[in-house]
Amino acid sequence: MIARGERRWALGILLALVVLAFLPLAGPRDDILNFVFLILLSITLAQSWNIVAGYAGQVNLGHAAFFGLGALLARTLWIQGVPIVLAMVAGAALATAFALVIGAPAFRLRGAYFAIGTLALGEILRTTVSNVLPEISTLPAATIAGYRLTHRYYLALALAAASVVAVAALAGSRAGLGMQAIREDEEAAEASGVGALRLKLTALALSTALAGFAGGLFAYYHISYYPSHPFGPHWTFDALLMTFIGGVGTLQGPVLGAVLYVVLKEYLAVRWVDFHLLIFGALFIAIVLLLPGGLVQAQHAIIRALDRRRPR
Amino acid sequence: MLEIRDLDAAYGDIRVLSGVSLSVGPGEIVALLGPNGAGKSTLLTTIAGLLRPRAGAIRWQGDDLTALRPHLVVERGVALVPEGRRLFGTMTVEENLELGAFAARARHQRAAGFERVYALFPDLRDRRRQLVRALSGGQQQMVAVGRALMAQPALLMLDEPSLGIAPRLVAAIFAALAEINRAGVAVFLVEQNVQAALTLAHRAYVLESGRIASQGAAADVLRDPHVRRAYLGPLAVSRA
Amino acid sequence: MSVLAQQLLLGLLIGGLYGLAAAGLSLVFGVMKVLDVAHGELIMLGGYAAFFAVAFLGLDPFGSLAVVIPVSLLFGAVLYLGLFAFVVRADEETRVKNSLLIGFGLALAFHALAVRLWTADERSIITPYGGSVLMVGDLAIPLVRLLSLLLAFLLIGGLHLLLARWRWGKAIRATAEDWQAALLTGIDVRRAYLLAFALGTGLAGAAGTLVSIAYSISPAIGLEWTLKALIVVVLAGLGSMIGTFVGGLVLGVAEAASAAAFGGAYREIVGLVIFVLVLIARPKGLFGR
Repeated sequence: MIARGERRWALGILLALVVLAFLPLAGPRDDILNFVFLILLSITLAQSWNIVAGYAGQVNLGHAAFFGLGALLARTLWIQGVPIVLAMVAGAALATAFALVIGAPAFRLRGAYFAIGTLALGEILRTTVSNVLPEISTLPAATIAGYRLTHRYYLALALAAASVVAVAALAGSRAGLGMQAIREDEEAAEASGVGALRLKLTALALSTALAGFAGGLFAYYHISYYPSHPFGPHWTFDALLMTFIGGVGTLQGPVLGAVLYVVLKEYLAVRWVDFHLLIFGALFIAIVLLLPGGLVQAQHAIIRALDRRRPR
Repeated sequence: MLEIRDLDAAYGDIRVLSGVSLSVGPGEIVALLGPNGAGKSTLLTTIAGLLRPRAGAIRWQGDDLTALRPHLVVERGVALVPEGRRLFGTMTVEENLELGAFAARARHQRAAGFERVYALFPDLRDRRRQLVRALSGGQQQMVAVGRALMAQPALLMLDEPSLGIAPRLVAAIFAALAEINRAGVAVFLVEQNVQAALTLAHRAYVLESGRIASQGAAADVLRDPHVRRAYLGPLAVSRA
Repeated sequence: MSVLAQQLLLGLLIGGLYGLAAAGLSLVFGVMKVLDVAHGELIMLGGYAAFFAVAFLGLDPFGSLAVVIPVSLLFGAVLYLGLFAFVVRADEETRVKNSLLIGFGLALAFHALAVRLWTADERSIITPYGGSVLMVGDLAIPLVRLLSLLLAFLLIGGLHLLLARWRWGKAIRATAEDWQAALLTGIDVRRAYLLAFALGTGLAGAAGTLVSIAYSISPAIGLEWTLKALIVVVLAGLGSMIGTFVGGLVLGVAEAASAAAFGGAYREIVGLVIFVLVLIARPKGLFGR
């Protein structure tokens, strides 16, 4: 079952999201709303990557492909007049379909091969889209005039909440436990009849659907961008980084990581604008080597240390 | 020369050796016997430095060997012929032997080393340009022993050298070990072939479930009814 | 017909550089099971190093190899000691996973650094004999690219000899085959790792130099070359430097053939698609050992 600590976190995060729902009513400046929007989008992106990495134990280095596919279809449909939510659903469906078509054979690959295979896949899509749609995608003037930041904001809230609920449900379900088993020891899990492939595909489907939705949100939010931009590897890296900082395979990890990342990036952007990627790169490497469990691991270690110090 | 005191070793949570103490003196041949899974290989691996013991001490010629990295253990004069030989299959006999002399202590005695190995195992001289993986099990074992010898060790350790080898070649290898010992190299031998091991050795230890169960002069251990029953089969007991 | 032959020839010429790029990656992975997906960035950095060596030191373009290779070797040693030495402390499976993650992060960091320092523009080293072409019948062989191919071949050959004859070259091969046996033989495996990684980086630097001379470089080529190297390594397997070189040639020609068949815009994608298909068709891995 989902650990008690994690259940508390899930409720806490959802509560925080509910509180944030009231933020637009307080009439804040647009840049604050944009900032929170970015955090919410990041939470969704990170959680989506977390599902495959943390619960199915595979490193997906081509995650941006699904983000991009969601953005691509959602944008195309929405500009044609399809309601945004429907367009986003279509985008997510495309991402998931693509994942399942590729995923079934790809999941037979062990760790490293899956990673480099997805890396190649991401690059294939990015290059193809870049060749086929080299021109910038801009919204028609009427749409720009009718742009409401609060709509995007609430969608982002809903998506972030959905991603947290999805991970919570997954972790607590039999499917989730099965995935944990796979992550710990794939061969042993197979032997005990866990049906590894099916579980992995479920994780992949959920992960890419969320990523696709996030992509749709991206397409809804930005006024103009190059269609190949959301396919770029730095989106994958952002998801990786945030999840690792917070703690892979935990519920709260990606949320903490996303908040920390966006906040830190904003702060660094003000003063150290050009080096923020270097700093994050170094931080990431340090975490992978020294603190693979991220903030959550650090938190547990601190609690244990304090426990030991407590007078008996 | 080699002194092991109260050694504890484990793989993860599995305790393999408990309070093992033994010694190998200069010029001695000491055999280590025992059933499968007793921990014999682990003991050799720990001495060689591939595994760090949980407790206890390994002293060699007065120095503490306990936490030393394997290549430095070789530098000090202790060479291991591992179980299954672990040769470099994509390389020739000559290259394998040459690598055996990689350590600084042996580097400048390569020529002498080659001569010594070819004198002990004439078959190898003819085959020296052959890829090792093309050789038979017995010939590979000779290369493995030769490779360890090239390091000019003062103590040669062997893990099951007779495993999977034709009896004729086993005899040849054991004869070679006797000669190596006569030249002054101490030998520490883990073996399943109890008869051959105890015929060759001066002293022996018996390791069971990670502890030393008995020890003594080789002839005495050979006569021990428990040993005979456990390792030499029912016929052996009646012949005692 | 001769247009096709011309295309294939050009593919062959760049294929040699693919092989050189892959050799470094193959060496490092074969020896220490570290899959450095930042390898392409090392090539990119090597290219820039060559560019600036020529621009500021006035060196002959091919002569800049004499500067870039030692600098790359040193950089590789530093990168190993500062970073990958810690990665190799873990067991093999963790090592591969960590090197992928770290390599990925490193790649993005290097890319960002390059864009910051040198902008995203493409650069190329101009050689005085740059436009020269060797005519063989109907085929026009660009001289600079031919020289690059020859140099790539020489470098691979040199590496092969190094691994075959040099004491530490043999130690590296032994370590690649069985690191525990290597330790038992008296080889300091960590030093073998250091040397292998430095060599791998040196090869990357050389590849980058040749790319910079015969083609062009920009910060964006990093990921592209990492993938080329990965494709060649996966296709050619580990263990033979010559085999890797040939694998590179094959990839170059295959790309050229499909560009001729499907149009140039998809040249990049073909290699990647083949890669993914091969990976899927041989799921247990092509790193057959």
